[in-house]
Amino acid sequence: MTNVVEMDGVTKEYGNGTRALSEVRLSLRQGDWTTIMGPSGSGKTTLLNIVGCLDSPTTGAVSVAGVDIAGLDQRGLTKFRRENVGWIFQQYHLVPYLTALENVMLAQLYSGTVDEQRAVEMLERVGMGHRLLHHPAQLSGGEQQRVCIARALVNEPALILADEPTGNLDQKTGKIVLDLLVRLRAEGHTIIVVTHNTGIAALGDRTVELMDGKIVLDLACERKGKEAI
Amino acid sequence: MFMRILGKSIARRKQRVAIAIVAVVMGAAVASALLTTSMAMNDKMGEEFRKFGANIVVIPRSDTIEVGLPGMTFGSVTEQRYVDESDLWKIKEIANWSANVLGYAPLLYQVVEAGDASGGTQNVVLAGTYFEREVPEILDGAGNPWVTGMRRVAPFWDIRGGWPADGDLLGSIVGTAAAEALGLEIGSEYSVRYSDPETANATSGRFRVSGIVTTGGSEDSQIFVDMAAAQALSGRPGKVHSVQVSGLCTDCPAELIAAEIEASLPAVQAKSVKQLVFAENQIMMQLEQTMTLVTAVALGASALGVMTTMTTNVIERRKEIGLLKSIGADNGRIAALFLAEAAIIGLAGGAIGYGAGYGLAQYIGHSVFESSISLVPVVIPITMAISLGIALLASALPVRRATQVEPAAVLRGE
Repeated sequence: MTNVVEMDGVTKEYGNGTRALSEVRLSLRQGDWTTIMGPSGSGKTTLLNIVGCLDSPTTGAVSVAGVDIAGLDQRGLTKFRRENVGWIFQQYHLVPYLTALENVMLAQLYSGTVDEQRAVEMLERVGMGHRLLHHPAQLSGGEQQRVCIARALVNEPALILADEPTGNLDQKTGKIVLDLLVRLRAEGHTIIVVTHNTGIAALGDRTVELMDGKIVLDLACERKGKEAI
Repeated sequence: MFMRILGKSIARRKQRVAIAIVAVVMGAAVASALLTTSMAMNDKMGEEFRKFGANIVVIPRSDTIEVGLPGMTFGSVTEQRYVDESDLWKIKEIANWSANVLGYAPLLYQVVEAGDASGGTQNVVLAGTYFEREVPEILDGAGNPWVTGMRRVAPFWDIRGGWPADGDLLGSIVGTAAAEALGLEIGSEYSVRYSDPETANATSGRFRVSGIVTTGGSEDSQIFVDMAAAQALSGRPGKVHSVQVSGLCTDCPAELIAAEIEASLPAVQAKSVKQLVFAENQIMMQLEQTMTLVTAVALGASALGVMTTMTTNVIERRKEIGLLKSIGADNGRIAALFLAEAAIIGLAGGAIGYGAGYGLAQYIGHSVFESSISLVPVVIPITMAISLGIALLASALPVRRATQVEPAAVLRGE
């Protein structure tokens, strides 16, 4: 299986001197679910942001889907992100004045092809076909997160990045979202999840643990027969 | 989809957008009012000034001859010369500014004796002129001869009675002071006697009072008769002393018209009436300076209003901007979203502002100039363009701020 993410000697330092990542070397296989864990401030989100082209490393090489993204400028990063990355956020980040359907179509707008039918299909796929014209304020947290997942999927990205996808959900709705991610992984999507929740880590193929910006644990997990806890 | 986002984004923040539109409306209204007033009044004031009389005087060119003894100069004399009446139509045919020549009236002066109310005689200036004369050399668009004369050049003359008809050699306009001194009323007939100062030959003429004029100027003590009658009385056929020309000077200096008249007519001097032109220019300049200042202040206030609203807009929507960037919106798309909103604010404010400005212009017209202001269509696109420009310009900094939002930072709540 080919690697979809290659990081070599990646260091990220912020302006105030904080070193969020230090000489990280990591390879992620296509179609795998990788869980990034670690305490707050360990560099999990920074790593996710670099892989998702929302941030650039200070030093080191990063290749995603065969493209050296460390060498891309802002415009190049935006284009790459648009075509290759689907984001799932803890806070959902839906546009409040747009309907569920429009929030999904928003991702299509920037990729250049607005296809309402496909957006409807994506929402039906995540079980939100009956809430197409509802605004975020009319949806529960779990429903909003499912809209967020539909938005992440609509452009068929190479990578799905989820930052604490169930962090704001109760256990029941969290399970619905995780089952959805399990299904996506089964369909062949490459998923990277950042979480504190060890239960979520158990669903993945691999767990990477960070501490002070360094990888302290890299553990492959048994894949078969997994479902959300 | 873009329009849907734009429409919903505006609809969601109706109040804020309304405030920004109101800010633009204020600037646009003042700009529109002042532009309308300025443009309409420019024409109107040109017309008003024309009512006060001619603003260019054409006189024959005279050589000045120094007189005296060798080494001593006693002064100078000038030979009396005339403007040839047959050349006068050329005044209307000057090279570039002929359309601005609204009328001319030639004058031939002579001092005559007229019988007064007490049975004696008084010297009075009798001027021959055109009251309302067709000029066959000049045809209007319909093929009719162009009409000129004192009625066109001096429409402000306050006439009691009426103007003599063209070609009426008996009719006359008598100045109010002259009429009083000579005991004349409308309809009175009177005789005058002209003595040639060189030959001492005398000629007489008889006239009827068609109207009595009050101008408050030298005309009040003069008599005006048909040019042909005056020329016959003093034996100077085809000669005139001077020509009063009324030039419309809103878009050109009177000096330009005067210079073209000098170039068109042989041996004449054409001078603009400096004081009148100076006053006209001064008033218009002061008006335009004041208008420019007020408009600049109002547009500055509008720009501040729009900038404040757009800045608040960007700050409130930082997360949305971060999200849009995270899902692939580049800076151009982000800028387009906010600039499109600014454009809508600018155009809506411009349209409403134009209407309000037209109303304001009417108020200014009635309160300052005591007249209504006509609609000037060109002000509509100018006002819209100014409003659009101000809204876009005022949004430049907020939009720049929007493009600088770092998605990673705002999405994690910083």
